[in-house]
Amino acid sequence: MSSGVAVDLENITIRFGDFTAVRDANVSINGGDFFSFLGPSGCGKTTILRAVSGFLEPSEGRVLIGGNDMAGIGPNKRPTALIFQNLALFPLMKVWENISFSMEVAGASAAERRKRADELLDMIALGGQGDKLPSELSGGQKQRVAIARALCANPDVLLLDEPLSALDLKLRQHMRTELREIQKRVGITFIYITHDQGEALTMSDNVAVMKAGVIDQIDTGHNIYDDPSTPFVASFVGENNVFRGKVKSISGNEAVVTTNRSGDLLSRITPAQVGNLKVGDDAMMFIRPEALELAPTDADSKTTITANVINEEFEGNSFSVFLEGDGGKMIKMSVPNLGQDHISARGENLSLRYDASNAVTMPAGELASE
Amino acid sequence: MKKKMIFSDFFKNNGVVMGTLLIGLVSFWLIFLIILPQLSMLDYSFRFNLPPAEVGGPKDVYTLSNYEHLIYGSDSTHQTYNTVDLKVFVRTIIAAMLVTIFNIFLCYPLAYFLGQSKGSGFVRLLVVLLIIPYWINEILRAFALRIIFGDSGLLNEALMFLHLTSEPIDFIRQDIALYAGLGYAYILLMLFPMYNVIESLDRNQIEAARDMGASWVHIHRRIVIPHAKPGIVSGATMVFMLSAGALAAPQILGGPSSLWFTQLVYQWFNDSLNWQQGAAYAIVLLASTIIIVLTVMKIFKVNMGDIGK
Amino acid sequence: MSSANLIRVALGAYLLIFFSYLLGPLVVMSLTAFNSSSFPTVSPWACFSYEWFDVLFNDKHIRDGIYYSIVIGIGTVILSVSMGLAASIVLTQVWPKLRSTYYTMIIAPILIPGVVLGISTLVFWDRAGAFFGATDGSFLYGLFHNGIFLTILGQSSFIASYAMLVFVARLQRFDTDLTEAALDLGATHTQAFRKILLPFMRPAIASASVLAFLASFENYNTTTFTIIDYKTLTTVLAQKVRLGINPSISSLAFIIIVLTIFAALAFEAANRNKEHKLAVKKGKASERKSGILPSFMTGNPAAILLVLLAFVVIVMVGTAQKYSPETCKIEVREAKQIAIQQRIEQLKEARRLKDEAKAATQSDAPAAPTTAAPKNSGAFGNVFAPTNLSDEDDAAPKAAPKDGNGAFGNVFDPNNLNSE
Repeated sequence: MSSGVAVDLENITIRFGDFTAVRDANVSINGGDFFSFLGPSGCGKTTILRAVSGFLEPSEGRVLIGGNDMAGIGPNKRPTALIFQNLALFPLMKVWENISFSMEVAGASAAERRKRADELLDMIALGGQGDKLPSELSGGQKQRVAIARALCANPDVLLLDEPLSALDLKLRQHMRTELREIQKRVGITFIYITHDQGEALTMSDNVAVMKAGVIDQIDTGHNIYDDPSTPFVASFVGENNVFRGKVKSISGNEAVVTTNRSGDLLSRITPAQVGNLKVGDDAMMFIRPEALELAPTDADSKTTITANVINEEFEGNSFSVFLEGDGGKMIKMSVPNLGQDHISARGENLSLRYDASNAVTMPAGELASE
Repeated sequence: MKKKMIFSDFFKNNGVVMGTLLIGLVSFWLIFLIILPQLSMLDYSFRFNLPPAEVGGPKDVYTLSNYEHLIYGSDSTHQTYNTVDLKVFVRTIIAAMLVTIFNIFLCYPLAYFLGQSKGSGFVRLLVVLLIIPYWINEILRAFALRIIFGDSGLLNEALMFLHLTSEPIDFIRQDIALYAGLGYAYILLMLFPMYNVIESLDRNQIEAARDMGASWVHIHRRIVIPHAKPGIVSGATMVFMLSAGALAAPQILGGPSSLWFTQLVYQWFNDSLNWQQGAAYAIVLLASTIIIVLTVMKIFKVNMGDIGK
Repeated sequence: MSSANLIRVALGAYLLIFFSYLLGPLVVMSLTAFNSSSFPTVSPWACFSYEWFDVLFNDKHIRDGIYYSIVIGIGTVILSVSMGLAASIVLTQVWPKLRSTYYTMIIAPILIPGVVLGISTLVFWDRAGAFFGATDGSFLYGLFHNGIFLTILGQSSFIASYAMLVFVARLQRFDTDLTEAALDLGATHTQAFRKILLPFMRPAIASASVLAFLASFENYNTTTFTIIDYKTLTTVLAQKVRLGINPSISSLAFIIIVLTIFAALAFEAANRNKEHKLAVKKGKASERKSGILPSFMTGNPAAILLVLLAFVVIVMVGTAQKYSPETCKIEVREAKQIAIQQRIEQLKEARRLKDEAKAATQSDAPAAPTTAAPKNSGAFGNVFAPTNLSDEDDAAPKAAPKDGNGAFGNVFDPNNLNSE
């Protein structure tokens, strides 16, 4: 199998009439990477995938696969294979015929095709199921057949369009691991589209977060979670408490923000925005629920918030505590379940603190809508 | 994210071979089987009926005489009207409308009954029974009615047996057979579109309305009929167009004199061999029926897209 | 609950009236096929007879008509199904702004009166011939004035719209991702069409073909203009019916009705069987126990009716070989003669009474009218005799009426129908 073919998107803009689906996207994906595009539905991530697979030509910019410009090359000529959101298994063909379809259209003999299909069926642990129809398989089995069908074409790049979205939670988590393993085994470049941050963060080497046709940030999953570069990324990936305000002072990469309702708070400036933030700017500060903890009485007031408990929800591995701060500011805190019955009582006034390195500040901007 | 593509993308999306084949077939159909034939008929209707030698000659000029003939007959001074043909024309249009209305009333209850009682064996049997006459030849169906309406037909025999009449009634000469035959011929084209839309009506809507105390009349007026409107208009359009354009039923069930406008067209073509005159009459028929249908569709706010559902 | 009962009664009466209107004429017509009376009627009933079937099968015009109807039907199916399929595929892709205009154009032929379509086809191809300078006797002139060619085009112009409607309904459920998946896996557009879309459309193509064939087979309004010097079954029938009616047309109608019922029942039975199998698969119904009836018939009234009907047809064809209405006919004739004789006697008596007064001599009674005895007795017996079908040798009887479906089936075998 081939491995390690890089994909580069250079200044890609895609328009449908007056509507711009993708604006000036620049992405370079290393060969053999598991790369994800993460964003809410309608953000243009599927459009990018279709441009890579060749179903549409970008209005501007170039798609390079392995350094070759793909302009004018149709989907059936590109070294890519796409796994569709609904899998698009051919319902009237048997499983083995589905898997070996790419060989059929290339004119391979039935015996050859059957042999290759059986190998792939063994690889996806569906040996002996080749004569079934897709409708006779379970959701997870269909998933694996779709992967085998795509791999049978020996693509340099495998494109996956939210392939796990139709599965139930357990299976989805299982398939994440399996996909990652398959990718490591075959070693080819995977480009994965998802709106599920869990999928993106667990599987990917790198993630691009998209909003309304624009790529906000490309980085490792870890960095995207810890150092979001825009308010959108901060609020879309994981949960976050947002505090709006104005920058009061900056020292090095730390800033004090005078928040609208919770007083002056200290935090880190997110790395991508260091230098972009000036005193007096509108800013947003984000603190993740798990970064908050109950404060000792003598805590530094610049990293302390007081609030009243409104509700507490038990989530299994943790408790979610919902609090109301000054001026009606809603705050969420997450406390790991370490065997305690509950954390707090409704109406109780709590003092919460956080570590300034766990809070990030950036210029104010658009948040991800719920 | 499926975007509708514009024409220039057509070949990219279908490939050159398939794209050409698709466009080729559709163009052949639309251009050579529909548009050009209609246009050449229109052109023909404005020409004189000349002997072959004079076609293309100096006498081959455009004229309105074929249309004038419908209004004034062969009277070139335009003093008298062509009452015979005009009467036939008006009768055809009005009778086709009446047949359509008759079919709406006759079919609506059955369409409702079939559409709302789902899946029982009895209903399936009824549907099978409906399909059978649907596939029997139009001519044979007219023939069946002629057997019944004839002088010594079943109906006259029955009426005389019951002493309702002493002499056989001439149903054919009195046009009763024709109207019964027209109503009979296209009744299923009214029933099936109605049945299809009523079947798609959620029963819960009716039950909810009943629950709120609506009367049956009210339920039909406010819920069922508005929902069934596209089906009713679609069926009515088909029945009206087919009735107005019917030829077999008038030929077989009509009396000795021509009753139906299509018969005049037929006579111009096949008996008088005056194609130009026949084409003009056909254009009049086509234009007037289309205007009526479009008007009705406009009044009832139904789109072309609902036709044929 | 008396009002509910009232509704029930009203509904029952309404259904009865509706179905009598719909089916009654067909039943009456079918019955007249078996009455030996030379005018199609059920009353007075003369004799039960198969002779009209015999007349029908010996009618060369009808046999020719059926032959050309089938030829034209096949041509129309091929042309209209491919045009309808192409039109429906284009409809799914056409630019949204053009969509409704395009749809109006491809649906319009359904609404154009058949007479108009026939005329316009005739006029256009005549003009086209003139345009190409085709002169009488040239190939092009012959083609553009050929009844079969023109009829196929004329019929296809609107039957393609019906086919298109069938395809649009099916295409709505087609997942275009499947085509893209095929392309993505390296298929060409033609391969994707042949291997993905076409198999998906196959059931719709089958039903559109049946629909197109039937619509073509029974079309009259368009055909009567375009057929020129050929004949189809409908134009032959129309001519016969206009010139004078006789029960051999009833016998044709009867055959068509029986075939239609067969097809409808077979379709329904197959549907039920499929539904049941599906239900069994989903565990919603139990496997049918093999009792006295074969499994496909259990709980499937349509299948039972189908077998019963087949049985009745076999019995009918069987008795037709032996049954002869001769005795009955003689009886009827005798009864008629007796009635006439009685009438004559009455007249004689009246005249005698009159004459007696005048004491005049008696004249001879007028001779009783006689009707010619039909030549053939067992109708079906002759149908299957080779000499009756045609003067060709290969028209020898192929199927003895063993199975119900085939009883009348071979009558429509195109090989049996010879042209001159």
